[in-house]
Amino acid sequence: MSEIMISLKDINKTYKSMGDEVQALKSVSLDIYKGESVSVMGHSGSGKSTLLSILGALNPPSSGLVEIDGIDIYKLSQERLADFRREYLGFVFQQFQLIPYLTAHENVMLPLTTTKRSNREKREMAAQVLERVGLKNKMNRLPNQLSGGEQERVAIARAIVNAPPLILADEPTGSLDTKTGDEIMELFQQLNKEGLTVLMVTHNPDNTKYLGRTIVMKDGRLSDERLNLN
Amino acid sequence: MQLYNIIINNLRRRKSKMLFMLLGIVIGIATIVSVFNVIESMKTQMTKQVSEYGINVVITPDSGGLTFSYGGIILPEILYDVEQLTNEDVDIISQLGSKDMIRIIAPKLISVEMLEGGQKVTVIGGNLKQEFQIKPWLTIENENSEASLTEKNIEGFVPADLIRQDISVIELSEDQIIIGSALANSLKVNKGDTIKISDNQFEIKFILSESGETEDHQVLMNLKTAQTLFNKPEEITVMDLSVDYEAGSEEVLLAEIKENLPHVQVSSLRQETLKRDEMLTRLVRFGVAVSILIVFIGMLVVGITMSGSVRERTREIGIFRALGFRKSHIIKIILSESLIISFVGGVLGYISGNLIASYSGPIFIGETIQPEWRVLVLFISVGLSVAIGLISSIIPALKAAKLDPAEALRFI
Repeated sequence: MSEIMISLKDINKTYKSMGDEVQALKSVSLDIYKGESVSVMGHSGSGKSTLLSILGALNPPSSGLVEIDGIDIYKLSQERLADFRREYLGFVFQQFQLIPYLTAHENVMLPLTTTKRSNREKREMAAQVLERVGLKNKMNRLPNQLSGGEQERVAIARAIVNAPPLILADEPTGSLDTKTGDEIMELFQQLNKEGLTVLMVTHNPDNTKYLGRTIVMKDGRLSDERLNLN
Repeated sequence: MQLYNIIINNLRRRKSKMLFMLLGIVIGIATIVSVFNVIESMKTQMTKQVSEYGINVVITPDSGGLTFSYGGIILPEILYDVEQLTNEDVDIISQLGSKDMIRIIAPKLISVEMLEGGQKVTVIGGNLKQEFQIKPWLTIENENSEASLTEKNIEGFVPADLIRQDISVIELSEDQIIIGSALANSLKVNKGDTIKISDNQFEIKFILSESGETEDHQVLMNLKTAQTLFNKPEEITVMDLSVDYEAGSEEVLLAEIKENLPHVQVSSLRQETLKRDEMLTRLVRFGVAVSILIVFIGMLVVGITMSGSVRERTREIGIFRALGFRKSHIIKIILSESLIISFVGGVLGYISGNLIASYSGPIFIGETIQPEWRVLVLFISVGLSVAIGLISSIIPALKAAKLDPAEALRFI
């Protein structure tokens, strides 16, 4: 049995919305193992995004325990939590979320900005991952000079440049055509094969074939869980 | 890739907003620098004028407080028990250690005399060439004097022309006088006529052009003639000096006069002028008040611009935070942007302020101000500008750092 990468125990999350309390997550418990790839599916409002933000060390739960690689992340100070995000997590946001005034190369270097590596090392690391996602010849372009698929690749390169053990992706193919979406999913699959743990929120059932396990959420609870046959 | 890459790239991207902020700072600093320059220039000009123009030291007997007014200057009342000035005192003054500072000594004997018709008139007995040199507003009617400088300069000073050509003709014999234009009109006399002063007949050799000064109503004659006429052979009522303050120390000169002539009272126009500094001080206070207002407005401009910038960049800040930027990194980014703009604004404000001062000089003080590119003022300008930028960006920076990354990224 592999080691556990993510361990959620009895997670509850309550928001206040217009004076009313909304329970976004209800007693969610989940284990994800190192090297696993998991898709999280569910309708809008089912709690997928809340779950992702809690796993992303961005949003503490109202109650429950969140451990990533054995670290109780919400016991860390704010600054250590920022360091944790930088070292352990690679985010691939919906709509790419690239910084528009930075080139593809600079966007990829962002997670390295606050590290103590030399500029040369940072440039080389970013160039390597851009080469890996097939964008070496476009690394000096601004995001608006790239296609949607290329921007997504830059976003993935940015997520993996720091070699984090866990990739969290939110609808990475949501705004891409089928062919490009498949290419991106193949890239995730490849990364997973290389040992990265991948957790992806998706609406697209076709994406699940690239991932090992699917979790379905409904009304803030885990309603179903199945292994995918790859 | 360092934080400064993000900072510089962001500044480039938000050119118009950053230029607006920069402009706010430049205008503020430029206004402060130009006001400072104008006031400094006024101070310098005032001292220079006192040094260069006409009478600037008046020596009178020490009367122990009793005074009368002569030509706008308060003089001691002429009393018998007061030790009067003498010709010897004039010699002492001309031999002082700081004598090189003294450009002109104009001793005179002043007396109020009765004319033939019973009219009282002030008679000035003096060395007339020196008198005309030290009082450039004195010119002779119909003498084609091109060198006369009767137009008053600002602050009531008239520039002394020590080499004026028109005074070469001013030679009076013992029975000749010069009278003021107003007096000539009231007596209905002309050049060449005679009038009787204290039972002595005098020929009017010249009539002074109208100057608007007290001399318009006075009689001028040679010092010796006056001393004989009034039976005060050695006496001097007052000594006017023209002193070049740039040739030495005023304090030393005044001390030497006091030491050598302990019975005299010395009035320095420069000291009087320094009192005018009170006016300048008020002007400075006004300048400071305007500056504070400008600083406040500058802070508002910077604060509002930076707050707007932070609001616009909410998502971007959320991304930075998600990618592992600490709160301190976010604060550093916002404050550094402000620091760069305010630094540039400070330098540009300093340059513009000096240029504005030089162009506005003719409007405010009637002459061109030569910009003084002082390093200290540059440091103060930049320091003030940076302080404005940083202080007013602290709140937006803290706000940015406190942004909840999950909330900032609520799009995901």
